[in-house]
Amino acid sequence: MVIVELQNVRKVYPLGKVEVEAVKGVSFSIEKGDFISIAGPSGSGKTTILNMIGCVDRPTAGTVLIADKATKDLTDKALTTLRHETLGFIFQSFNLIPVLNVRENIEFPLLLGKSRLQKKEKEEWIDYLIEEVGLSQWKNHRSNELSGGQRQRVAIARALVTKPSIVLADEPTANLDSVTGEQILELMKKINREMQTTFIFSTHDAKIVNIADHVIRLSDGLVTENLRKGEHVTASQVGLDTAEGGRV
Amino acid sequence: MEIAKLALRNLTRQKKRTLLLGGAVAFGLMIVTVINGFAAAFVKNVSENFANLAAGHVFVEGVEKSATGKEISIVHDDNAIMKAALEAKIPAKYITKRSSFQSTLLYAGKTAQLQVSGVDFASETFLPDRLVFKQGGIEGMDDRQGVIISEPIAKRLGVEPGDRILVQMKTYTGQQNVGEFAVAGITFDAGIFGNMSGYANKSYVNELLNLASDDYQAVGFYLPSLEGMDKYGADLRAALKEKVQVFEKNTATNENPIRAMMESSKKETWVGTKYRVFTLNDMLSQVQQIVNVLNTVSLIILIILFVIIMVGITNTFRIIMYERIREIGTMRSMGMQRGEVRNLFLFEALFLALGGAVAGLVLASIAMGIVSLVNFGLDTPLFIILKNGHMTFRVEFWRTLLDVVIVAVLTLLAAWLPAKNAAKLDPAVALRTAK
Ligand SMILES: Nc1ncnc2c1ncn2[C@@H]1O[C@H](COP(=O)(O)OP(=O)(O)OP(=O)(O)O)[C@@H](O)[C@H]1O
Ligand SMILES: [Mg+2]
Repeated sequence: MVIVELQNVRKVYPLGKVEVEAVKGVSFSIEKGDFISIAGPSGSGKTTILNMIGCVDRPTAGTVLIADKATKDLTDKALTTLRHETLGFIFQSFNLIPVLNVRENIEFPLLLGKSRLQKKEKEEWIDYLIEEVGLSQWKNHRSNELSGGQRQRVAIARALVTKPSIVLADEPTANLDSVTGEQILELMKKINREMQTTFIFSTHDAKIVNIADHVIRLSDGLVTENLRKGEHVTASQVGLDTAEGGRV
Repeated sequence: MEIAKLALRNLTRQKKRTLLLGGAVAFGLMIVTVINGFAAAFVKNVSENFANLAAGHVFVEGVEKSATGKEISIVHDDNAIMKAALEAKIPAKYITKRSSFQSTLLYAGKTAQLQVSGVDFASETFLPDRLVFKQGGIEGMDDRQGVIISEPIAKRLGVEPGDRILVQMKTYTGQQNVGEFAVAGITFDAGIFGNMSGYANKSYVNELLNLASDDYQAVGFYLPSLEGMDKYGADLRAALKEKVQVFEKNTATNENPIRAMMESSKKETWVGTKYRVFTLNDMLSQVQQIVNVLNTVSLIILIILFVIIMVGITNTFRIIMYERIREIGTMRSMGMQRGEVRNLFLFEALFLALGGAVAGLVLASIAMGIVSLVNFGLDTPLFIILKNGHMTFRVEFWRTLLDVVIVAVLTLLAAWLPAKNAAKLDPAVALRTAK
């Protein structure tokens, strides 16, 4: 089942008097429950694409469909609600709220919008997530008392607390050493399997893409490879006339 | 309400900054509360002190018009007044019946002006307790020609108790007359109002005025408190009107009500005695004006201080917004609506204002407490605004609430623009911006 679909998406940023075309016509689709890597060098358009999938930004042209909803037609309010209900976010620099402790940081998204959870149910769910990311000892600590890896674990739990169908992680390991980074990816993979949550993470590190079920390689705003385990789709086959086609 | 909780936490982030801004708010509110507290007590103290000087809160004065058109102040028969007072249920603690005149005192070639009140010391038993003597005392009034004057007048004339001074004045019909006073006592400097007045025995004052010994000019009803004097005045006027001729109170103009009554009586003609009913508030309408000015000034100070503080708050919230731009992006991406971002900042501003306001009120109480401990003594020209030699303050609930609301509204206004800008931020831009 397709949960995310990009159709000929372009994104142009105005930069003073000139325009920067960060994404130059990209199409791909993502299956629900997959563990997807968007890989590419710096400046290739990873963040731009994740932002459009994450509904924090809208495409200049083309269509982004999230759970069959075209983001282009939605108001800011509707987009925000869509983010709250459908998406979770993990950031490169963790982005925890410094005045809140671990538990409160994880709980925070539940305080927004209408909560459907009973208090007890909510407490149990948060405890479960804290356990899941291995931070039971750190519940009441603030983020400045945690290591980078621990902070990212908090961020993972926070991204999952609203039970989103998609979690987006923009270079979640870039600020971590390779061992810790690997652990974080393992944790995400484990949750992906257990909860059937779709994970999309970006990386510029070619080595860590093997963990993914589906790898989308970008270069200079274009898809250069679109490879899902068990199938192989080249750029030309997904209808990209601007791409050179084939494997990179 | 969760956003409110987060806002409260956010204030603890940069404690110094919060303390500085909150301190500015506190300082502003403190100044204004102290001024207002002073103004409110000022009116009360002046009124109470003046009630003592004038010996009453509600007064009735009899006025006759002579053949030449001159006004003569006199009460021949107070039956009607006393009956009316009963009907109006005036809760008088004392009733004072006094005659008075404006005079020139002469002693060894020096002169001084004195408003002399003729008092029946046998009935005004409370008066001796109120007078604070520097020299001499109430015993001297056993001399029928005794007079009590204030220290500045005694100094000016160079007299001491026992000295006899010449007094020049006019009889009630306007003839020049002279008499002789014996200085019985000298009271402490009692401020501008008190300095100009002195006390003599009513029988002698009446003699000099050429009045019968039980005639007098005005009766004062001394009430238990300042409360309700205007109502009692109006009731008394209404009751008295049933029996005798009474001057109307001209409520249309906003000039001094007593002056207005005097003006209107000049134009009128009547036969016999016509009565003027007035209150201490009427006499002190200028004091109320001073207080109104003080209150207006304090309001202006509050607003000026807060316009300055607002600039600081606006700038600080701009900085805060910039500092937390990535956090705003994070919260927006997690599903926080624009309005909630705005409210987060507005709550911070509101808590800052309220925290500062509470601190300001505490500081004001401490400041007022300390000042009111100082004893200025009784022999000071400030006497009229003091209560037993102490400065007092009255914090009025509604006025204070108004000040706090103004402070809160201005603070919210100051934070409004930065808060709105924070809310308007595009989440993608906010997330990308590196601090
Ligand atoms: N707001 C913007 N204004 C102008 N140009 C932008 C803006 N955001 C991104 N770009 C440009 O668009 C291109 C793609 O940027 P993007 O951030 O998506 O790349 P990326 O793959 O995430 O890179 P990195 O690995 O460095 O994060 C880059 O050339 C970048 O300079
Ligand atoms: Mg990026």
